[in-house]
Formats: sequence, C-alpha cells, structure tokens
Amino acid sequence: MKILVIEDEVLLRINIIDYLKAEGNVCDFASTFSTASEKIAIYDYDCILLDLTLPDGDGLKLLKELKKLEKTDGVIIITARNSIDQRIEGLSLGADDYLSKPFHLSELSARIMAVVRRRSFKGNDVVTFNELTIDIQSKVVKVKDQTLTLTRKEFDLLVYFVANKAKVISKSAAVTHIWGDHADMADSFDFIYTHIKNLRKKLVDAGCKDYFHSVYGVGYKFAD
Amino acid sequence: MRLFSTYNRVLLITSVIGLLIIGYLFYNTLSNYLNKQIDNYLVEELLELKDYARNKANYPAHVVFEDLVIEYHKISKQHVKRHFGDTVFFNPKKGFKESGRYLEEDLALGGQNYNVKIIASKIAHVDQAQSIFLVIILPVLGLLIIILLVNRYMMKRIWLPFRQILVNLKSFNLNHGGNFEKVDTSIVEFKELNDAIVDISQRVKSDYKEIKLFTENASHEMMTPIAVINSKLDMMLQSTNLSEEESKNLIDLYSATAKLTKLNQSLLLLVKIDNNLLKDKEEVNLKKLIEEKLAYFQEFIQQKNINIQLNLIDKHLLMSRYLADILLDNLIGNAIRHNRVDGLINIELSATKLIISNTSEADALDPSVAFERFYKSPSSEGMGLGLAIVKQTAELHQFKIVYSHEHNLHSFCLIF
Repeated sequence: MKILVIEDEVLLRINIIDYLKAEGNVCDFASTFSTASEKIAIYDYDCILLDLTLPDGDGLKLLKELKKLEKTDGVIIITARNSIDQRIEGLSLGADDYLSKPFHLSELSARIMAVVRRRSFKGNDVVTFNELTIDIQSKVVKVKDQTLTLTRKEFDLLVYFVANKAKVISKSAAVTHIWGDHADMADSFDFIYTHIKNLRKKLVDAGCKDYFHSVYGVGYKFAD
Repeated sequence: MRLFSTYNRVLLITSVIGLLIIGYLFYNTLSNYLNKQIDNYLVEELLELKDYARNKANYPAHVVFEDLVIEYHKISKQHVKRHFGDTVFFNPKKGFKESGRYLEEDLALGGQNYNVKIIASKIAHVDQAQSIFLVIILPVLGLLIIILLVNRYMMKRIWLPFRQILVNLKSFNLNHGGNFEKVDTSIVEFKELNDAIVDISQRVKSDYKEIKLFTENASHEMMTPIAVINSKLDMMLQSTNLSEEESKNLIDLYSATAKLTKLNQSLLLLVKIDNNLLKDKEEVNLKKLIEEKLAYFQEFIQQKNINIQLNLIDKHLLMSRYLADILLDNLIGNAIRHNRVDGLINIELSATKLIISNTSEADALDPSVAFERFYKSPSSEGMGLGLAIVKQTAELHQFKIVYSHEHNLHSFCLIF
C-alpha cells in the first residue's frame, strides 16, 4: 500500500514510517502544509495520515483540497487536539477515521487496513490469513470451511492481530483497542490474557495452526 | 442583623428615651408654673381674709366659695409659718374629694390664734396642663412615627441598587461565563462599588481564562511527545532479540505512558467541561447506556463475582452523550474497581435520580473532599480525577451528585 504521512513531528513521523514500511507498505511523507498540498495533487495514495496542526496551515484545508481534486484517497486524521467538534468536522469533510495522539502504532496500522479495505472492497470485506478467513462485515470467522463462534471482543482482537500480522502487539495496545480510553482497570491485562487464551483454544480446536506467540508478558505476536 | 434594623433600633430607642425625658421635664415645668399661679391666688385670698378680719374685728365664719375651702382651727400658740402644699380635700360644693393646693399659716385674728388653711381646687388647672401637654406632645409623637416610616421607605429605596449588586454578584459564576451585570444607580458610593466589582470580575475572568488556556495548551503540547514515546516503545517491542529484563522495562514504560496519557486526557476533559466546550447535547437513554456499560465491564464483574442488582426505569436525559458516557464509565467503573470479591452493586434509576451503590473493603470517603481534584482514598490506584470529572459533569448539566456511606455501602446519588 502507498501511504502518505503528513506530520511535522520528526520522531513520530520516522516511527510511523518505519513501522508501516516493515509491514511492506510504501511510505511518503510531508512535514508542511505546502509540500503535503503538492504531493496530494501529484500522486495517488491508498491512505493519507493527516496531522491537523501543521506549521504553515490547517490540516482540515487539505481535506477540502482533496475533495476539490476529486481524489478518493483514504484519510485518517491524527491529532493532539482531541475535540469532538474537530472530529465531526474532519469526518464530514471526507476523512475516514480520526485517531487522537498518543496512539499505538499497531492501532494506527489496524485503522489504515480497515480504511483501505473499506475503500477498495466496498461491502465485500474479507481478510484471509492462510487457512483463516475473516468476513469483517458479517463478523464471520472460518477456519478452512468451519465457522467459529467468537465473542465480539474475541473477534475484534483477532482482526486487530491479523491487521498487525508478524508484529508484536503490546498488551497495553490490545487493552486500549478493546476497552478504549476509559479502560484503566488495574487487572485489564489479565483479561487480554484470558481472551487470547480462549481465542487460541477456539482456533486450534477448529484445526487452525496456533499463530499466537507470547512475548515475555509484554505482548503477543500473530505470525506463521 | 440587617443594616436597616440596626439603624432603626438605635433611632427608635433614642427617640423614645428623648421623648420620655422631654415629656417629663415639660410636664413638670408646666405643673410648677400652674402651682405658682394657684399659690398667688391663695396668698391673695389670705390677704383678703386678713383685711376682712381686721375690718370686722372678728374672724369670718367658714367661707365656702366655689372650689375654695377655708378652715380655721383655734390654737394656743403660733408656730406654723406660711407654707404651700398639695393635698386631697373634700369639696362640699361638688360633694366629692378632689386634688387641691393649700396655703397654711397661723394667724392672730381678733386676739385669738388660729391655724388657717386655704385650699383651692387644682382640677381646672390639671385639665389645662394636660391639654397643653397633649397638644404639644402628640404632634411630636406623630412626627416621630412619620419620620420612622419615611426612613423605612427611604432605606429600602436607597439600598435597592445595593441589593441588586448583591444579587448580580451571587449569580456571577466564572464557570458559566457571563459578565457581572452592572446596576444603574445615581448614588456615588454604589456606583463606585459597582465599578470596582465590574473591574475585579473582569480581571478574575481574564486570569481564569488564561489559566484554563494554559492547562489546555500544556496538555495538548504534551500529547505529541507522549505519542513519540509510545511509538518508540512500539518500535522497541518489534526488536527480535528482547531480553526478559528489557521486556519488563517495556511493560513499566507502557504503563507509565498510559498513566500519563490518561492524566492528560482527564485534565483536558476537565478544561473542556469548564469551558462548556462539549455541546453535543442529545436525548440520552440512560437505562440503555447503563446496560451497555455493564456489558462493557462484564469481564471485570465476572472476575470479582460481583452480584449486580438493577432497578431501572426508562429515563431520557438531555445531556452531552460523550459526558454521559464518561460519567457512567467513572461511576460504574469505580463501583467495580473498588468492590470486593463476591461483592454487590446496586443500581437504581428513577425519574428523579440515579443511585449507584457498592460494597467495598475501603472505609467511607470524606464527603467534603471526595469530589476534589487529585483526592484519592489510600487504597485507590487512580489519579483522583474521576470523581472530579463526575462532579463537573453533574454541575454542567445542573444535576447534583451526593456521596453517602450507609450499611457498608458506598453510594453515589445523581439527582437530576
């Protein structure tokens, strides 16, 4: 996938690009409004990550430009200003998603995947990983031809891990993904463990290979 | 005591005492003057009596004029000198006793010593004195009453702008915006007071605004560095040769960053509530939302084996959906987090209030500080902002939140 990262904070930009590149994406970047404006006019991207507070302009204007150019690039707003008004304005201007800083790179990656999938497959949103088939829309998981019964949280976790395949996902990121910002329960890490244990069991019972690898209590990796 | 009552009390006491003293002095002077008149008359009478005795060469018999009685008593020796006094005597003409004034003197009449006592009625004079007294005192009394009434009216009228200033000052609230409303008055002192308050309120407002802006900016600016730390951690995690110790460090770093993020988000949220920036008001189905929250927290509830008792009616509230969400997150989250194993959570939703109570091993909170920012009970692992957010949210929507601890249950009652 071709992704444009519009972000003026150098360190954050480098990390995002490194993470996304490691997943096999092609990344381009812009640190100012003017370069971003140039790049979106010339190239087409599968997804654009847009920071709203740029040194020389308001990121929301770029959304208007995209609309004017009749581009269909997916856009995810990433911003430090977590305001509902801005979120609504951004989404109404054609952004596909809104992620407030700080975020986990795995979360960003999963969101990019979701946006790109929605854009390119329109209604026929199916992810496959070896013998595993996940229909995002109808929330059906199949191992070969056998349908699995998963709880909503288990399903969300599975999609999250598949979107970040071969990456280590910290428990912290998984907790935030499942319970959102307000999940600061002391024992929420234990539930991630329980959910993954159950998910693993259901997958293996259905004849799926065990793709979950534990990484020293920090997190898990979903990989061959 | 009110200014008006204090002022009136002093005025009233002084007036009454003054009036009594003046009345007493006036009445006394008047009586003395009238007594003197009678005394002169009595002396004249005595002289007449002497003349009469000298001419007739014998003493006159009991002479009874109207209101005048003359008594003679034979005595052997003269020893009473002329003197005047008040007395009560029997008036034979009128046939009853009345008060009078007498003149007593021992005289030699026709070679015989007599004690002569001339008594004149005072009735007419007393009536006169009373009339004069009343004619003077009554108007004075009337005047005093009028002055008091006028005073009362004037005090109320004059202090009206002051009362208005007070009312405006009381309704002035930094959080709800709005300026201190100026009161129109022609009285210089009140004008000065008014101007001073307007000046102070504006300064306080701008200071307050600046502080809030500072908090907001500081929190926002911190988000980007936290994002950098977070992404660095995510990158480090991808390293293929993580040692066990490095992993442990990563866990700690993740949890510290998560806390920092949460703290920042809470502070930002408080600023937003303070500034009334969350305007996404809509009809929120509280019952549905509570049920959603319980599903959301179900693992936590199951893990502690908490018994949930629900008594909910359909209740819709016009409020920010975002804040309703956070409010319930905080209240129900707290009820679970601070609960004990095999504990109980009781949620009651009626038309007027929502009560969430739970068992806990922790002691009762101090209700006076429970909702303060950064207050937390010794056993709490949170930051102490959750309940502050609950309170701000409640206040923003003009609800009331009350904490109580009864029968080993910690209860939070939200009154709509």
